[in-house]
Amino acid sequence: MTKTPDPITAEKFLEELRRYQNGSVSRRHFLGVTGLGLATAVIAGAVPGLRPRKAHAALSGTVNFTTWPSYFAQENLDKFTADTGVKINVAVFGSNEEMLAKLQAGSTGWDVFVPTNYAISTYKELGLIEELDLKRLPNYDPTAQEQRFTAEGVINGQTYAVPKDWGTTGFVVNTKSVSAVPTSWKEFFEATQGPMTGRVMVHDYQLTTIGAALKSFGFGFNSNDEKELAEAEKLLIASKPHLFGINSDYKPSLISGDAWASVCWTGDAVQLQRDMPEMKYVLAKDGGEIWSDFYAIPKGGQNLDAAYALIDFLLTPAINAIEVKAHGYPSTDSRTNALVPKEMLENPVLYPAAEALSPLEFGAAATLTNPLRAEIMARFKSA
Amino acid sequence: MSTHTRSPLVTGLLLAPAGIFFFFLLILPLVVMLVFSFGERAPAGGYLPAFTFDNYLNLPARSKAFLNTLTLAPIGTLLTAIIAFPMAYFLAVKVPLKWRVVMLVLVMAPFWTSQLMRYYAWIMILGSKGFPAWLDWVGITDVRLLNTPTAVLIGAVYGFLPLMVPPIYVSLEKLDKRLLEASADLGATPWRTFWQITFPLALPGVATGSMLVFILLMGDYILPQYLGGGKVFFIGNALVDLFLQSRNWPYGAAVSIALVIIMFVTIFFYMRFVLGKTDQRRAALV
Amino acid sequence: MRIYAALIYIFLYAPIALIVGLSFNAGKQSMVWTGFSVEWYGKAFSNPLITEALGTSVMIASATAVLSCIFGTMAALGLERTKGWVRALFDVLIYIAIMVPGIVIGISSLITFVTIFDIVNPTLEALLNLRLQMGMWSVIATHVLFNIAVVALLVRARLQGMDRSLVEASEDLYATPMGTFRQVVLPLLAPSILAGALLAFTFSFEDFIIAFFVAGPDVTLPIYVFSAIRRGVTPEINAVGTVVLLTSLLLLLIAQWILQRGSKSA
Repeated sequence: MTKTPDPITAEKFLEELRRYQNGSVSRRHFLGVTGLGLATAVIAGAVPGLRPRKAHAALSGTVNFTTWPSYFAQENLDKFTADTGVKINVAVFGSNEEMLAKLQAGSTGWDVFVPTNYAISTYKELGLIEELDLKRLPNYDPTAQEQRFTAEGVINGQTYAVPKDWGTTGFVVNTKSVSAVPTSWKEFFEATQGPMTGRVMVHDYQLTTIGAALKSFGFGFNSNDEKELAEAEKLLIASKPHLFGINSDYKPSLISGDAWASVCWTGDAVQLQRDMPEMKYVLAKDGGEIWSDFYAIPKGGQNLDAAYALIDFLLTPAINAIEVKAHGYPSTDSRTNALVPKEMLENPVLYPAAEALSPLEFGAAATLTNPLRAEIMARFKSA
Repeated sequence: MSTHTRSPLVTGLLLAPAGIFFFFLLILPLVVMLVFSFGERAPAGGYLPAFTFDNYLNLPARSKAFLNTLTLAPIGTLLTAIIAFPMAYFLAVKVPLKWRVVMLVLVMAPFWTSQLMRYYAWIMILGSKGFPAWLDWVGITDVRLLNTPTAVLIGAVYGFLPLMVPPIYVSLEKLDKRLLEASADLGATPWRTFWQITFPLALPGVATGSMLVFILLMGDYILPQYLGGGKVFFIGNALVDLFLQSRNWPYGAAVSIALVIIMFVTIFFYMRFVLGKTDQRRAALV
Repeated sequence: MRIYAALIYIFLYAPIALIVGLSFNAGKQSMVWTGFSVEWYGKAFSNPLITEALGTSVMIASATAVLSCIFGTMAALGLERTKGWVRALFDVLIYIAIMVPGIVIGISSLITFVTIFDIVNPTLEALLNLRLQMGMWSVIATHVLFNIAVVALLVRARLQGMDRSLVEASEDLYATPMGTFRQVVLPLLAPSILAGALLAFTFSFEDFIIAFFVAGPDVTLPIYVFSAIRRGVTPEINAVGTVVLLTSLLLLLIAQWILQRGSKSA
């Protein structure tokens, strides 16, 4: 019969702790000698809520994938699950602010998520995302990417996010219901209070909604100037009674005919046009947004191996081409574009002419954290 | 007389678990909320320790949300009570005993379908391909129901009817039919019988049901989100926005505290009013 | 009157009929009918995320029901034995727990947990390679809080209406306090406790708003449905909703039948 070891005395514990803190002994020694290691294992097993961080796990379990509406090809996700046995749990959000809020609150359990270009620097500053080890993403080729879209994912030479696709923010109009299609944000908002009243949607997303209002006055899309923002707020609140709804998931309402026009992203327009050719996508003459979205791995994820595997899988050119065909957003990767059907490459919605793109601006990091913008958006929704 | 003394140790043990829960999961969080409400928003969002009244002074920025909730919640509760009452009366008084429970269960059953799905069904019904399309067919065109306060009220009545009927039913079931007969024999009209006998006896049930529905409506987020489409903003929506989008935790905490205070005050006066009336009637009956 | 009742039933069940009907839609979007099919039932129940969410919800609801009944009944019994400030304090606490809207409970719990974790986790992680995070346990904890109050109220109401003479008789006959409790008090309280259990289970199973804030990475069924609606409603969700409804109806009717038989034999 083995004798249970004598419990450690208080002095010995402190001595070992000091030695551990000095670095004289390893953590393993410390845990073993004090019995904390065993206690931990027992507690972790018995107490729900205490989870050991996985150091290394074989590809298994679930990967929690957070993305935007209609932004992936289900067949690709099914293929990934079939190949690796890893289940994919998809969560959908309509703005970067919502994603940031969830990550700040912690315990999200997300393994992969999709931030937009302007948000990445903030995530890095707040210590919310992992530095990416490109060796674990063999199918990602940095040299094959369009640099203007990928630059924001690399900070001080360290990659924090890899590009998924790019796109534009304009608006979509149902030409069967609307005869005079607006050509600029100014006209868009005028028509909202006019012939399109009660049938217009804007995003529940400060960047695109406040940005659109700012552009209609000719101000900068990313303006943080108080006076300009005040004008934008006035316009938005005046428009509110004429809106059908404020929602980043606007496709169902456009399809059902409840809404005739909405602030819109490239791929959603492409998807709408497949079944409803009367949907016209307009890049406003007075400006708008050009953006790129990335894959990133938040800290605190449960399944790092699967996260890398999923990103690597989705960035494989052949798979990525299927993604593009499904969601209609143009890829930043030249190898993928080589595999995309010609009609898509020539589609002006996906690949607008240079003149149409020139008034567009990339989102700026400051808008993400600017409390005034967040408050204006909230006041607008509350009005 | 009891020959056993009540051991305080046993009493303490009996109360301990509840006490622990109340302290750690009710008092502590509310205190944390109170502390946060005096803080400042951290630069990227969240809480920064500070002491300022700014958040409370800024409450009027959400006045529309408070107004919406404080009008639509009571109206919704009232509508639900009015619609539920005849149903409860029917079940308690007019339905033969053996069918009563089954029919009551059928009233409550919709509550067991996901509330999210039920509201989503209403989005379909109230959207332009649903009910308005029927009205269109009959000639009443351009009826916009979805994303309006009306839609939210319809959703409220629908969602909370299963909660309002049972308490009223329970009160009415205790009604002694002989009182009704006596009243009729004494020459009272059915209307008078109802107001002076039936309704007062049902009042506790109405009060319980109304309080339950009112509390749920005041804090609701999903109902105004789905059926209001972002256009009908309740305090619940403001809170979700402040914590899950704007990330202004101190301001959100202030709004929460304001909501809790409003709830307490409203319910306090409501209970006094309703229970006061009940006592009056009871005294009148005796 | 009968017409009124019929109309109410139609009002209550029309949207449900819509949900159930669309669960047989062959198409991918619930709102766009393309044909009749039962494939979505198969897909729903072979979807591991759905079965996991369903299991999580059942486990949370069961744990909530059991814990809140035990603790709530204990509290009610304890309160019967107290007077003065202790009793008043608990009375107030019970009413606060019921009156504070779920969203405030969810949010305040969230910020409290986050604050505590932020303080405790760095040390925990460095020393023991562990971290506290929200999950099923935090949902159960917040649900139990609310339901302790509900059960306590129900049982207290019953206790107060209880015929004291039975208890006194039992004590006069020299039964131990425990014996009195088990054989006299508990059976009398049983209906209230069971009602409390049912209410607690229902509340917990259906709850979205509290779980939304404190479930962390764990997914309950309402959270899954919420996510799914955001992703685009497929008939898969309709199928799940229909099955849950039918199961609960069945359980309720069975329970009702058992109770009726029980009271007949009593």
